[in-house]
Amino acid sequence: MNPQLPAIHEIWVYLSGSPLLALILTLSAYQAGVMVYERFDRNPLANPVAIAIAIVATVITLIDMPYAKYFEGAQFVHFLLGTATVALAVPIYKGLDALRGRIFPLLAALLAGGATSIVSAVGIAKLLGADAAIIGGFYAKSVTAPIAMGVAERINVSPTLTAVFAVTTGILGAILVRFVLDAVGSKAWWQRGFAVGVAAHGIGTSRAFSVHPEAGIYASLGMGLHGVLGAVLIPLAVQFMK
Amino acid sequence: MIAGLVQILLFQGLGEVVARFFLPLIPGPVIGLVLMLAWLRVRGAVPPAVDLVATAFSQNLGLLFVPAAVGVVMFWPHIRSHALAVVAALVVSVVATMAVTALVLRAIAKDGEP
Repeated sequence: MNPQLPAIHEIWVYLSGSPLLALILTLSAYQAGVMVYERFDRNPLANPVAIAIAIVATVITLIDMPYAKYFEGAQFVHFLLGTATVALAVPIYKGLDALRGRIFPLLAALLAGGATSIVSAVGIAKLLGADAAIIGGFYAKSVTAPIAMGVAERINVSPTLTAVFAVTTGILGAILVRFVLDAVGSKAWWQRGFAVGVAAHGIGTSRAFSVHPEAGIYASLGMGLHGVLGAVLIPLAVQFMK
Repeated sequence: MIAGLVQILLFQGLGEVVARFFLPLIPGPVIGLVLMLAWLRVRGAVPPAVDLVATAFSQNLGLLFVPAAVGVVMFWPHIRSHALAVVAALVVSVVATMAVTALVLRAIAKDGEP
């Protein structure tokens, strides 16, 4: 073989040994997810994160790349989760004005909703015979994924399952929100927005913004407050439930 | 943009330090978030550079949890064998959470009309 021209498998060995392959794969899968999402008029069923996860999981299975190897490269994206969590201070700050005069009902609803989220998910999973590893993933699933994964690490449950359950919860919430809130007779936009933000974090919030701006503001407030209070209260609740 | 990133990273670092020495149960970035929120409140406005970075992050937040979530490939057989429990828990819980949150708000808020 021509010595100046490395064989294709050598290039492959070189690439799969560097973080580049995992990074390209992650970013292009997400980009593909975003394109599909836009194509389907931002339908929650075509969630870009779920699409990206499916693409990356399929590709690394097909090319026989162990997950640990993939993560070694993709960890540079993963690292930014913490930074993005801190940056959530900005949207929360912008939503603080919306709290005025409504702080008591909002906090009461958040505590009730947050408790319902944990108790119902953990209760049903236990009832249907799920094991401890799966149940652990349910504790923080209604909290925005970057915070949920931080909480998962602190309470010694799988951040991966927590992230997957959080994304699924967001998608389900965005799809079901209209039917559920109509069924319970919730009418005010700020109340509808807050409910979907508390239950379905970021994915529910973007759905709320697409329906009504006031719903969107209160959804991001619900998501932000649930994130911050959840980070404090969920570890305590887990200790209590054990 | 870099100035905004630096300020956010400083709060992240501060949050990690506080978490490590005082509040081990709370994730460092969440403490960083609360400290940054307090700082914004005192300052009374969001510096444009910080706003720029925060907007970029919040628009692409989903990308950042792809690497961890792909780990689901390792849990896949496990989840499949508990599929009913997982699906039932996820669906019922999100419906119940939305319903309870909305009902509590409607019950105690004074301005409930649209």
